[in-house]
Amino acid sequence: MDQPAAPNGKKVLIIEDEQFISDLYVRALTRAGYDVKLVIDGQQALEAAQTNQYDIILLDIMLPNLTGTEILRRLRDLKQTPQLKAKVIITTNLELDEQGRADMESHADGYIVKAEVTPKELVAFLDQLQFNS
Amino acid sequence: MDHLTQAITQIRARVWLVSLLIQVGLVGAGYWLYHHPALPLWQILSISGMAMVLSSALIGIVAGSLAKLPLAAMGQAILHIAPNEAGIKAPTFEDLRIGRQYVTSLAYQLYQIASLQDNKILSEHRREATQASTILNHLPLPVFVFNKQQLVTYASETALAYCGTDSTALFGKALYDVADMEFPSSRTLESWITECQKDKVTDSAYWRRVRIKLPGEDKAIRQCDMAAFYNRDNPKGVEFIITLFDRTQEYNQDDESLNFVALAVHELRTPLTVLRGYIEALEDELAGKADPELTEFMHRMKASSQQFSAFVNNILNVARIEQNQLEIKLSEEKWDEVIRSAGSDMEIRARPLGKEIIYDIAADLPTVAADRVTVYEVICNLLDNAIKYSANSKQITIKAAKTKDGLVETTVQDQGVGIPGSVLPSLFEKFHRNHRNRSQVSGTGLGLYLSKTIINAHGGDIWVKSKEGEGTVVGFTLKPYATLADELKSGNNSDELVRTAHGWIKNHSLYRR
Repeated sequence: MDQPAAPNGKKVLIIEDEQFISDLYVRALTRAGYDVKLVIDGQQALEAAQTNQYDIILLDIMLPNLTGTEILRRLRDLKQTPQLKAKVIITTNLELDEQGRADMESHADGYIVKAEVTPKELVAFLDQLQFNS
Repeated sequence: MDHLTQAITQIRARVWLVSLLIQVGLVGAGYWLYHHPALPLWQILSISGMAMVLSSALIGIVAGSLAKLPLAAMGQAILHIAPNEAGIKAPTFEDLRIGRQYVTSLAYQLYQIASLQDNKILSEHRREATQASTILNHLPLPVFVFNKQQLVTYASETALAYCGTDSTALFGKALYDVADMEFPSSRTLESWITECQKDKVTDSAYWRRVRIKLPGEDKAIRQCDMAAFYNRDNPKGVEFIITLFDRTQEYNQDDESLNFVALAVHELRTPLTVLRGYIEALEDELAGKADPELTEFMHRMKASSQQFSAFVNNILNVARIEQNQLEIKLSEEKWDEVIRSAGSDMEIRARPLGKEIIYDIAADLPTVAADRVTVYEVICNLLDNAIKYSANSKQITIKAAKTKDGLVETTVQDQGVGIPGSVLPSLFEKFHRNHRNRSQVSGTGLGLYLSKTIINAHGGDIWVKSKEGEGTVVGFTLKPYATLADELKSGNNSDELVRTAHGWIKNHSLYRR
């Protein structure tokens, strides 16, 4: 079994309403040294993200109350949200059409199909992210 | 014609009168000279000669001026009604001393003919205009006509009915006040018009899947194809014309069928994510603790979840192909890396079945032009088939080498059951499976169909050789990046290597940033 890693100082907001999946992500990221906060409701997720205290935001698309697409739109609207320091990574099992994908790509920092990435691969992916600061 | 005779009589009478007067004068002068014989004979003769010349000139002038007046009046009348002459006044026939009635009557005839001609042109024009609008109004397509300022100047009845409005609500309005239009790319009607007005005289354009929202229809969005024609400074003021082809039903059906697959894929992927996640967690937790049998169970679960995942992606890819959305984005790839990466994924499947993947990759392979995501699936599908159909043989060989034509050829070989010659030709068809093994082997029969579509979209070929009982070799070719880059450089200026067959949406790119 892998030993839990030392805290790496990075704060991650996981926005995910599927409990089995969020449990896996919280477990894997916490063990990898990330400081993790989980939100399952779209509206609450938006408010949490707008506090701008996270380094990484994992954003699901199908969410209760407010969709991930809408959350992303509002997060990138400078009238509603300050310039975020966080990298926003879309985590979804949805198949977007070319237009939806293009929208996501222009606004998000990364895109992951959950079924194709195991929790450990997700950690490896997040470890690769380059931060400006 | 009486007037003509009358005019000729008038002219003749005047010329005759003038001649008579002159001749009387000449006779008088002759008589006077005869009674004053102071002059010698030669002088008398020369004076009378000069008098005759003068009188002839005088008669000529009088006759000319008499004939000129009616001709000038007629000329003026013709010019007066000529379409290209402006500012010529109508002649005043009252001033004419000679042939007044004749000229008046001729001019009257002329004006009559001219006005008849005018009426004819006008009626023809009206008939044409009516015909045009009748055609437009009976055309089952909405047609809109715009002027230079992009305001609606005409809309066919179908167009009015389509917009559910009348002409007053439409005419004189700007285009984007009439309806909200959403174009699938940045090439919009507006950008096209701007482009046309900059440097085009005439042009036409066509858009697919334009989403149109009409005022007062909050939810109903129509999906149309749109055709437009542009004509700079058209004298009739028709700057551009737009026609709509309503495809709402058709496109909505497409969207729904795509939505169904997308929904099914989403529903399948959610439990798959959970299974793969917990299998990984269990593997970690049990590593070194569980007995070999439990560890083997773990491997089988992992292999099965991976197979499940590949199946979901195949289904999705087939749906994409059916929707004409196969799009291959070629970039430079190190081919041995791609092969080994796909192979190591497939080893998870091979190992629990006691099979081994052997790599035979030439050292001098050039980089290839490939779409990594889709070509990766081709390798996985071919290896998957080899694993399924290799029966008791243990080795699967994946080989890559340069052909004598300079292509990169990859083969996957097994020593399995082989494929009967009768089914070889239909092997790459959709839902084809090796029928003989249906009872023993699972699978959808989509793998080779997908592989062929993907490889062909890369500009490569795929083939199969098989002998029953001796195994199967499936091979495909890809082009070296260098040759394709040259090809594209000479062809067009696109800096991105894009080759499309039916279009494609990448389904699971892991690291997109």
